[in-house]
Amino acid sequence: MRKPLVLRHPSILVFLGVLAVFTVAVTVLSAGYGTGAISTSMVKTLGKTLCLALAAVAMDLVWGYAGILSLGQMAFFALGGYMIGMWLMVARTEGIVAGSLANLPIPPTDAEISAAVATQIFGVVGSDKFPMIWAFSGSLWGQLALVVLVPGLLALVFGWLAFRSRVNGVYLSILTQAMTLALALYLFQNDSGLRGNNGLSGLQNIPGLDAVSQEKLSIWFLWASAVTLGLGYLLIAWVASGKFGSVTRAIRDDEARVRFLGYSVEGYKLVVFVLAAVVTAIAGALYYPQAGIINPAELAPIASIYLAVWVAIGGRGRLYGAAIGAIFVSMLSSWFTGGRAPDVNLGFYTIKWVDWWQVLLGLSFVLVTLLAPKGIAGLVDLFEGLRPPKRQGQPMGPDMGSLREKEAVE
Amino acid sequence: MTALLEVRGISVSFDGFRAINNLSFEIADRELRAIIGPNGAGKTTFMDIVTGKTRPNEGQVLWGENSKSLLRMNESQIARAGIGRKFQRPTVFEDQTVAENLTMALSASRSPFSVLRWKPTQDSVTRVGELATEVGLGDQLGRKSGELSHGQKQWLEIGMLLAQEPRLLLVDEPAAGMTLAEREQTTTLLRNLAEKHAVVVVEHDMDFVRRLDCKVTVLHEGSVLAEGSLDHVTANPQVIEVYLGRG
Repeated sequence: MRKPLVLRHPSILVFLGVLAVFTVAVTVLSAGYGTGAISTSMVKTLGKTLCLALAAVAMDLVWGYAGILSLGQMAFFALGGYMIGMWLMVARTEGIVAGSLANLPIPPTDAEISAAVATQIFGVVGSDKFPMIWAFSGSLWGQLALVVLVPGLLALVFGWLAFRSRVNGVYLSILTQAMTLALALYLFQNDSGLRGNNGLSGLQNIPGLDAVSQEKLSIWFLWASAVTLGLGYLLIAWVASGKFGSVTRAIRDDEARVRFLGYSVEGYKLVVFVLAAVVTAIAGALYYPQAGIINPAELAPIASIYLAVWVAIGGRGRLYGAAIGAIFVSMLSSWFTGGRAPDVNLGFYTIKWVDWWQVLLGLSFVLVTLLAPKGIAGLVDLFEGLRPPKRQGQPMGPDMGSLREKEAVE
Repeated sequence: MTALLEVRGISVSFDGFRAINNLSFEIADRELRAIIGPNGAGKTTFMDIVTGKTRPNEGQVLWGENSKSLLRMNESQIARAGIGRKFQRPTVFEDQTVAENLTMALSASRSPFSVLRWKPTQDSVTRVGELATEVGLGDQLGRKSGELSHGQKQWLEIGMLLAQEPRLLLVDEPAAGMTLAEREQTTTLLRNLAEKHAVVVVEHDMDFVRRLDCKVTVLHEGSVLAEGSLDHVTANPQVIEVYLGRG
C-alpha cells in the first residue's frame, strides 16, 4: 500500500549509491586491492571521514530535527572508541606477553600472564593491576556491548536530568559542553583507569589479524565504515521520516504546542538523544582503530563544536547535508593543515594556511549562517529549481492573508 | 447534572499581583460557554491553570466523572486526559503540511515507541481528509501550513483540536483578526462543536459572543463577577461599570 522508505525519499537512494560508488572506487585505487594510486594513510583518512560523517548525521538528528544543539556529541564518539580500544589493547598485549613468556622453562599460568599484561598496559601510569572498569576487557563481545551501553546510559541519565528540568536553548548547549569537558578532565587523571593523558594506543593492530597487512586492513575498515554509515543513515532517515519525524520537528519549532497535543516532549527528546549517542559511539568505535590512538584530548569541547560547524556548513535539517558537510570540511581541513595547501605570498605577508585555516573556517561558518542558512545542501535546491520566495517585511496582519508589507505594495 | 470540569477556589499570584482570586467555575458535558472580561481579568491565566501551564497557589481543579485532580498532571497528561486548547495566535507547525499537522493531532497512542512504528492506514487518511473538509481545508491537504492565510490557520488549529477528540475544548479569542465572513463561519463551527464536546470560548468581542448565544461568565480582577445569559449579565450594573462602561 505505502511505498517503501527509500522510494518516498529518493535522496536516501542517491546517498547510498554515491557511497557505494565511492567505496568501490577507493578499493580499486588502493594499495591493498588495486592500483595503489591512493596511499594507505589516505585510505585510513577516508575511512575515518566516513565515521565522522555518521557522527554528523546523528548530530543532525539531534540538532537539525529535534532542535537540541548538543555540543557534547564527541564525548559519545570518544567513549565508543575507548570501549573498543580496551579490548584491542588487552588482546594484543596478551599476544605479545604470551609469546615472550612461552620461552620460559616453566609455562606461565593465566594469572601470571594477566599480571604481566596489566604491568605492560598500566606501567605508564604507575600501576600493575587492572582497574575495575577493565572487567570485560578480555572479551570482544563484552566490550562491543559496552560500546553501545556506556554512551547510551550516559546520554540517558544526562538527557533525563536535563530535559526533565526543561533546560533549553543555549543553557542546554552549555550543559552538554560541561559534560564533555568534565569527562575529558576526569580521563586526563592517571587514576581514572584509562591511562590518563597517554590514552590507548596501538589500536591499528588488530589481534588475530597480524598476518593481514595494513594495506588490506585499511580497506577492510573502509568497507566496515561505509556499511555502518549506510545502515546508520537508513536508520536515522527512517526515524526522521513519518510521524515520529513530524513530532520531532514540531518539538523543534514549538515545544509548548506539542505538549498541548498530548505528546511527552521530554520522552521524545530522550529517545532522539540516546539514539544519536549510540550511533555516534558506534562511529567512534570504528574511527579509533583506524586512527590508532585515542586520548582524552578527543573529548575536548572543541571537537564537538567542530561537529556542529560541519553540520551547519553542510546544511542542517537534511541528513545528506550533514554528511556532505562533515566530509567536505574535514577533508579540506586536513588538506590545509597537512601543509599541502600552497602558501599565498602577498609580498608584505605570506599566508601560511596551517595558521590561517582556522580563521578561514570560522569566517565561512559565520558567512554560511548569515547568507546561506541551508548550507551546501541548499545547492541541491538550487539545482532542482526550488527557490523560496524572497519575502521582506513583517506579515501585514491577519486580514491581509499571507501577503507581507512589500509584496502588498507591488 | 454533574460537572465535567470543576474549578474550586483557585488563586494564583505573580510577583504579588493576584491574577486569579478565589475563582470557582463549572462546566457540564457538551456545554458551550463564553468567558468575557476586560484585559487583565485573568482569562488566559485561567486557561493556563486548567491546561497545566501554570500551577495555582491554592484551590482545586477536578476533571471528569471521577473528579480527578488535574493539578498533579503535566501539560501532555492533561491533553491526553481530554482537554484541548486553542491559542489566541494560531499556532500550527508552519514547516509541515496541513495533512501532517492533522495526522500529528489525530487521536492515537502518544508514546515515542508506538509513534515510531505508526503507519498511515486507510482509516487515518480518510479521517484526516474528513477533518480538513470539516474546517474548510479539504483542498489544502498538501500545502505547507505556513502558506495558509491567518483565518485558515485558525481553522487548521481547530481541526487539530477536533482530531485530538477532546471532551473539553478551551478556545482563546477565536475571532481575533478574522474577517466578517470568517467570523460567521467560526461561529457556526463552534456551535456545531458544542453538540459533541464541552466548549469554553474566551472572547471580548460582544457581537461575537451574542452570536454564540450561550451562557456567559464575566471575569473581573481574577474572579467571577456575573454568570448567566448575555442579556442577564449585560443588565448587571456591576458588569456595566467595569466592562461595558468603558467602551
